[in-house]
Amino acid sequence: MKALKRLFNTSRPHFESGGRLQKLHPLFDAIETVVFAPALITTTDAHVRDSLDLKRFMTFVIISLMPPFFYGIYNTGYQSGLASGLTLGFVPVMLRGAWVVLPMLMVSYAVGLFWELLFASVRKHDISEGFLVTGLLFPMTLPPTTPLWQVAVGISFGVVIGKEIFGGTGRNVLNPALTGRAFLFFAYPANMSGDRVWTMVQQTGRQAVDAVTAATPLALAPLVASGGSIGRILTDAGYTFPRLFVGNIPGSVGETSALMILLGAFFLIMTGVGNYRIMVGGVLGVLAVAYPGYLINLASGGETARLFSVHPVWHLVMGGFAFGIVYMATDPVSAPGMNFSRWIYGFAIGALVVMIRVFNPAYPEGVMLAILFMNLFAPLIDHFVIKARLRKRVPNV
Amino acid sequence: MNAIHLKGGFSPRIAGAPERRLRLLETPRHVGMVPEQIPFIKPRLLVDVGDAVAIGTPLFEDKRNPRIRFLSPGGGRVTRIVFGPRRIIRQIIIALDDDERSDAFDVPKLDRLDTLPRGALVEILLTGGMWPFLRALPFMDLADPDTVPPVIIVRLGDDEPFGPDPVVYLKDRQNRFATGLDLLGKLCDRLVIHITGDKSIRSALPDPTMARHFTGRYPAGNPSVQLFRTKTGPEQNRSWYIDGQDVILLGEYLRTGRYPVQRIVSMGGSLAPAADHVRTRAGVPLRQLCGGDPAGKPAARYIVGGLFTGFGSSPDSFMGFYQNALNLIDDGDREEPFGFIRPGYGKPSYATAFLSSFRRRPFPMDCGQHGEERACINCGTCAKICPVDILPQFTMKCLAADEVEEALAHGLLDCAECGLCTYACPSKIQLREVFRTAKAQYYKEIA
Repeated sequence: MKALKRLFNTSRPHFESGGRLQKLHPLFDAIETVVFAPALITTTDAHVRDSLDLKRFMTFVIISLMPPFFYGIYNTGYQSGLASGLTLGFVPVMLRGAWVVLPMLMVSYAVGLFWELLFASVRKHDISEGFLVTGLLFPMTLPPTTPLWQVAVGISFGVVIGKEIFGGTGRNVLNPALTGRAFLFFAYPANMSGDRVWTMVQQTGRQAVDAVTAATPLALAPLVASGGSIGRILTDAGYTFPRLFVGNIPGSVGETSALMILLGAFFLIMTGVGNYRIMVGGVLGVLAVAYPGYLINLASGGETARLFSVHPVWHLVMGGFAFGIVYMATDPVSAPGMNFSRWIYGFAIGALVVMIRVFNPAYPEGVMLAILFMNLFAPLIDHFVIKARLRKRVPNV
Repeated sequence: MNAIHLKGGFSPRIAGAPERRLRLLETPRHVGMVPEQIPFIKPRLLVDVGDAVAIGTPLFEDKRNPRIRFLSPGGGRVTRIVFGPRRIIRQIIIALDDDERSDAFDVPKLDRLDTLPRGALVEILLTGGMWPFLRALPFMDLADPDTVPPVIIVRLGDDEPFGPDPVVYLKDRQNRFATGLDLLGKLCDRLVIHITGDKSIRSALPDPTMARHFTGRYPAGNPSVQLFRTKTGPEQNRSWYIDGQDVILLGEYLRTGRYPVQRIVSMGGSLAPAADHVRTRAGVPLRQLCGGDPAGKPAARYIVGGLFTGFGSSPDSFMGFYQNALNLIDDGDREEPFGFIRPGYGKPSYATAFLSSFRRRPFPMDCGQHGEERACINCGTCAKICPVDILPQFTMKCLAADEVEEALAHGLLDCAECGLCTYACPSKIQLREVFRTAKAQYYKEIA
């Protein structure tokens, strides 16, 4: 610790105004304050302050992301090994997964940090910790086959267009990580959808497997012949409910395991960092749309929208819903600020997810669009909820 | 009568609560006034350095209304007047004589109070320098002598950490308290006593039915919050309030015809040499109050008033006009390796993100900001903690966009300035400062 302190003290003059590296001061400050919580004292009342700060707040989001992140590494390695016919032992699988995921993570952080630093330096403010979350969330939403240059382009778009042009952290309308992903989704659809992108196939030289079609459950579902039961088709394809819940299936890096995401959600709710209203509202929204649809579908003999024939609970574990509602929708900046609005917002996301999945075959996965769509509506929901609340006040002017 | 339970708010468990012990401090050699801590007034000095003053000699008046005068808390000689930037009056220091003179005021006999018109009573309070103890919500400025308030709230018990306990200051002084209440009752249509904390003091009141008991977390003892939770219409917004101890002073003034200079102040905070109550003089030097400089480390911050709303002061300053508390806490400025990830058993927090949520023992608080200032991320902590249901995060943004009307609709003027939003904000935004400035600005505009 002493040596570290000395290092900071000796290098600080270079980063201060007038020093050679003064443009990099936000970076220096970010690193130093991570290592040593700064010794700031209050200059005005209130003289005492709470111990919670944004660093801890954001760190806790990152901690909550660790279960799906590590499971994502494992699963990426596992699926890749399965498709490439390689050994499926734990250690090689983790190594293989890390070989795919860590470069994406590093590119995401490095490129994102570059933009953050650029804006922080020009605007002369500190680097916000929120970026650490965005930089981790973003690669976790991508298919493992995403080329690294696309990771770089996506995070650039997410950070610059999704956040910085609005004025930086706290002022963005959309979730930056999802904005980046949406950009990739529409700009490079071939790399972001279809059957082939979800598994990283490793060329092993002797037995090159060049194409693996491992359809995700959501992609599989619409293919079902009219009248067939999707639940059975999925089960036949190996996608049983427990397997979907645990997440040992092809998909984006972090999204597959509802179990791990549930662990993260539990941590977020316990520490008060994530808002349970949005999460619970989302689950209710899914069930509220999927259940009636399921029943109507049963009654009409399965001739209506096909995805309705799957049991509603399956919607909770398929695709990116769990990941989206727990980590993306709860981003406090782009979510509404009133408790009642949060219920509405979560519910609407859940409802929209099912509707997009069921009624729009072009987008088998609707979570990203549902959340971005509701991000846009968050201020409007807040506006009306606040208006209703202010009516109850005894006026004081 | 049932207690009124106030929702919202937060009471951090802070070490150093004053005990109900009362000790007598020897008479100081100097006393002082600190005009800069009295909000809104524009003081005009009535004395000069070297002037001889008696207890009750006017020291300065308020230029806005020269009938409101602030009297000398000691008899002797004005030794120093400290000015700040733009000639703001920081301190007026008076060296006390051994045999202090005390000006006598012409007060009516107690049994004649009923026969006097309201105007005469107001005049008696103005000449005796007692008027400024009455303050008007929502701006907490001095009350206007020419208006009749809808309600006067007597605040018995301040639950901000840490103020004097009414059980201590009411003891043996019930008569004076009753006289003070009597007088206040003639100034307004309705007089209410708001008790916070120990409700056994109700038995010390002349008429226990006047009292309402408030429970809940800090700031349940704040008159703004109490008014917000009990008001039935907008006409009550401009209520007045007065602290319980100041009612005793009113009574003492009426009974003796002299400007009362005895105060009971509390000492608290983890660095206080003795956390208890002290009977002493108004305007006592802080250094003497805490028995000289506390030896050794860590350095203490001298807070006149409570930890949330008090004034940061120095041992060279004096007890304020409205404050009856001195709190000493660690003026902490230590760096902490990897502070953001520590389990935090010893870190007090409103959030559940620390192991301290499981701790029941009080925390020795320090003045650390515990993080750097960041943009608002709309986490809603401030709205959750706010005792008067303001949405500080949105109101703050209204003000940042200069939408004053909208901020007012949000309840800006209900803000009790309790400081909890500033306390809890994870982005370390000084919300109380934003609201107080905006309120003051608005007040000046409508004045």
